[in-house]
Amino acid sequence: MTIADISHRKRYLAEGNAYLPHIAVIEKIINETPTVKTFHFNFKDEKLRKEFTFESGQFGEYSILGVGEATFCVSSSPTRMDHLECAVARVGKVTNALHRLGVGAEIGFRGPFGNSFPLDYMAGKDLVFVAGGIGLAPLRSLIWNVLDNRAKYGKVDIIYGARTPRDLCFKYDLEAWEKDSSVNMTTTVDREAPDWTGNVGFVPAVTEKVAPSAKNAVAIVCGPPIMIRFTFPVLEKLGFTPAQMITTLEKRMKCGIGKCGRCNIGEIYVCRDGPVFSYEEIKSFSSDEV
Amino acid sequence: MKKIKKQSVRGLLEKWQKDFSVFVPSKASGSSQMAVWDGQDLAFLDRNRNTVVPPKANFLPNIEKMFGFRKEEDGYVLEPADEDAPRQLIFGIHPCDARAIAIIDMVFRDAYEDKYYLSRRQNTVLVGMACAAPYDNCFCTSLGFGPADATDVDIMLTDIGDSFVIEEITDRGKEAVAGAKDVVEATPADEKKAGEVKASARAMLSKEIDTDEIAKRLPAAFDDKSFWEEIAAKCVSCGICTFLCPTCYCFDINDEMLKDGSGARYRNWDCCSFAVYTRMPAENPREEKWRRVRQKVYHKYSFYPELFGIIGCTGCGRCIRQCPVNWDITETLNNLPAGSAARTEEKQKPS
Repeated sequence: MTIADISHRKRYLAEGNAYLPHIAVIEKIINETPTVKTFHFNFKDEKLRKEFTFESGQFGEYSILGVGEATFCVSSSPTRMDHLECAVARVGKVTNALHRLGVGAEIGFRGPFGNSFPLDYMAGKDLVFVAGGIGLAPLRSLIWNVLDNRAKYGKVDIIYGARTPRDLCFKYDLEAWEKDSSVNMTTTVDREAPDWTGNVGFVPAVTEKVAPSAKNAVAIVCGPPIMIRFTFPVLEKLGFTPAQMITTLEKRMKCGIGKCGRCNIGEIYVCRDGPVFSYEEIKSFSSDEV
Repeated sequence: MKKIKKQSVRGLLEKWQKDFSVFVPSKASGSSQMAVWDGQDLAFLDRNRNTVVPPKANFLPNIEKMFGFRKEEDGYVLEPADEDAPRQLIFGIHPCDARAIAIIDMVFRDAYEDKYYLSRRQNTVLVGMACAAPYDNCFCTSLGFGPADATDVDIMLTDIGDSFVIEEITDRGKEAVAGAKDVVEATPADEKKAGEVKASARAMLSKEIDTDEIAKRLPAAFDDKSFWEEIAAKCVSCGICTFLCPTCYCFDINDEMLKDGSGARYRNWDCCSFAVYTRMPAENPREEKWRRVRQKVYHKYSFYPELFGIIGCTGCGRCIRQCPVNWDITETLNNLPAGSAARTEEKQKPS
């Protein structure tokens, strides 16, 4: 399976200049955690609002004009196009500025860029989603995509963890998936916390405990690099082959379209060839700068 | 072939000025670059040396406005930069620098077309100058072409003393020369002389690399951390080898804003020698200097051939001439470790 295949790439919607952002308006802001906010937004241009499409896993370059651009995935599902969503952790210049914006403020959006999760490959299989912290953002797009086409897929396991209960993102989704009888939902936090009655333990360890079957299954893993690093070996122990493990890589990006140079891992450009890769592909990279 | 007397070149440049912005090799502030001809100075006709700043700057300026914006009552309004670049003619570009443009074309044409770059590219006539006096640290002949290669220019000039022999390479080149006053047919003696000039320049090049051997050694050398640490030890990460490299095209994107909320987005040259280039909140794949030096070498000699089938280096020698600590890329390339497979075991697990 080659996910990094050009046929998998969606072309930029607008004709012409891929560096020109579309203006979008923030319609709603959700405080996910003390440092993460989700922004619901819609394009100002009516025509674009109707015609815009993307696939789960793709990303955009979001900007505050005058401050700069930053790269985030689209965290909402293409099955729910009423508006778009992105979840943003407050870490730098642009994200801090974004966190200061209110409903009605205008942002710039370029995209969608990159490849996407291989829905065709996943169809008919059991799916194991493993996420940590804000790493749930790209998976959330995919999870809703799957749940909105529930019949196409087998069993669904979701294992999600954060450092503390307050660091859990998308609590409204976690609740919905808890209630969904077709989903086996496991939520965990790293350490014991007051009023927390759920699982305690790091995501890789909890994954080992949940022990999803590798038979006819695909695992999709996203979270902090350290979590991904320790989760892959656990999944291998459970019988998942590298081709059955998928993740989405994060690199510093500027252009989003394979020109500006910085997101490369050897000859692989994460913006253009990714960001979605199987562990098999990652293992075949000539560079260790993953 | 045709020719023109040096004393008549002014007339030719003036003719071109009617249709193009005419850029010529110019000295300025202790450096040199392709700059708009002032209509007077013709000293560059006898200089025939590569500019310090490569002509990539004529296609990818070191700072370039991508678009402006202003805030109105009902929100932001974008003011896209003019997408149709003015017509330019670059006079005296050396074959290595013309090859470099052809090399970076591949990036800007790939997948998403880069309108800014390609618009300039499409509106440019390249008037090449056969290199008559290569620098000691030039090694273009090792990269499969030479100091008089006319593949990547529209018109090729060769300095034969009192005249330039003119070769019209492309239709665009023919068009630019058509109707020019004082352009006459070259005699067999002129052509012979041009041939001698070209051959003598080629004979002056002594620096060599063996690209076949390099290609063989690169895969194993990648993981030889101690080799790269030694190479990188004296590097001061100043970035000059990338800024002045004719095939380095990496850029950053930045916004500027005035108090009234209006402003512009710019792109500017960026550089893989800097740690911040790849730094993310939690991690940095190339925080260590040896990784950045390795990236520079591999991008040119491994990743570029892998992606586009051509080495991303023209042997122009700028990175050697301008390096403040005398790093010589050819020494690195000629001394790549023959490699042992054992080193690959040290490869990190992916994140």
